[in-house]
Amino acid sequence: MSYEIPMGPYHPGLEEPYKLNMICEGETVKDARLHIGFNFRGIEHLAETRNYIQVIALMERVCGICSFIHTLTLCQAMEKLTGLTPPPRARYIRVIMGELERLHSHVLWAGIAAKLMGFKTMFMTCFEIREKVMDVLQAISGNRVNYAMNRIGGVNRDIEDPQSILAMVEALEKEMTRTIIPIFTTSKTATSRCAGIGVLTTEKARSLGVVGPVARASGLGQDLRKEAPYAAYGEMDFSVPVVPDGDVRARLLVRALEIMESCKILRQALAKLPPGEIAPPGDGSKFSFTGGTATARVEAPRGEVMYSVSWKEGARMPSRVHVRTPTYVNMPSVRFMVQGARLADVPLIQAAVDPCYSCTDR
Amino acid sequence: MSSVETIPNNALIAEAAPYCEKGGVFWYSDSTLNVRDVARAMNAVQARFITITTYELPANGGFRLEYHWDLMGHLLGFTFPLAANTIESIYDLCEAADWIEREVHEEYRIDFTGREYEPLLLREGGVCGVNLQKEVVQ
Repeated sequence: MSYEIPMGPYHPGLEEPYKLNMICEGETVKDARLHIGFNFRGIEHLAETRNYIQVIALMERVCGICSFIHTLTLCQAMEKLTGLTPPPRARYIRVIMGELERLHSHVLWAGIAAKLMGFKTMFMTCFEIREKVMDVLQAISGNRVNYAMNRIGGVNRDIEDPQSILAMVEALEKEMTRTIIPIFTTSKTATSRCAGIGVLTTEKARSLGVVGPVARASGLGQDLRKEAPYAAYGEMDFSVPVVPDGDVRARLLVRALEIMESCKILRQALAKLPPGEIAPPGDGSKFSFTGGTATARVEAPRGEVMYSVSWKEGARMPSRVHVRTPTYVNMPSVRFMVQGARLADVPLIQAAVDPCYSCTDR
Repeated sequence: MSSVETIPNNALIAEAAPYCEKGGVFWYSDSTLNVRDVARAMNAVQARFITITTYELPANGGFRLEYHWDLMGHLLGFTFPLAANTIESIYDLCEAADWIEREVHEEYRIDFTGREYEPLLLREGGVCGVNLQKEVVQ
């Protein structure tokens, strides 16, 4: 006999509000339906009532973890309509901030995954390291979240002492190499809870159009930093980790390897940070927009973020801002990942997508 | 449709005559395109579906839908003006379009024909077209 178990919208196994209605037989999940929108905020509509300065601050609030990435994508789209090109130093600072945000996001996810595995010590270790990443972000921007770094045509704050930031990054890398990477890749506790569960095959991943680490853990080697480089990514040497297994362990491995690649990018960007201005001349308060639509895409920690921005000639406010967030395309895959899974594995399976409902309910 | 169907690699995207690069997107400028033909052509070259962006046209002029696919890092765009608020669904051809079509349906009351809708994705038990459509038609 089958029965339905609702999980959410408010549940200890979910970090944010969404609902998973699972059809079960015994302890096995046969099918599931997902429901979102419990905190829908209508930010795209609000954006049409904000001018080109205010809209940056608004879109920074789409996501708490990827706040830099959202303003970067928006600014890159607006730069196409204003004809402004960020100076080289600003492009490097954008890479540094983007990779620090990726480290922050992946280490935070690792902590939550450890908690759901019942590995509380690892949860505390990850959060301790995450604090150190946030210290670096604070040293650069002055803020722990919502860094207010991006502006049209550049960045708002310079990295005045790259050597001190480099020392912090090297210390971080050492701790990650000593703790997070070996434990998540070799520990029996992690492997026994993650291997072979929540499988998303390569074919299904391609069909669903999933992005980011979820796609790369299902054998799809897509990464916009390589395929369509933006900021200064074209000048960086790094690899895109791809694991074909498609299970929770593969998603763990991909993120662990990406942490190491982010450190590699950070070391390069800090060492090669070019001199010069960080923004175009002027106080950054007056811009002239050409009419039309522009689109920008960025590889966020969870995958591709895309902004489409539409502007009327000379207007101060956008006539349309559309945001396609990575979680929005990754979440439908949870339905297929939990089919045939044990009920007790569902919280970890859905967490392995690294869902962000703040983004989804934008 | 022959030009869309024969996109085998990056170089041809830039060279193919009907494509025009603007604002970071390779736009396919053929007003006779059918959305389902485009979806089939994109499937044939294993392009990845990204999203549908909806624009409400001024003076009750209807809507314009922009469909986007990624092909090896190139962003492809296809535009479909809607005189009435309907367009054929591509959900059966492109599974990734499911949530996007449902969201557009709920935000703008645009009907994607040939598919069934599950309960509302964004607004449990609410009315369609109240989130982003400026003038709500009840």
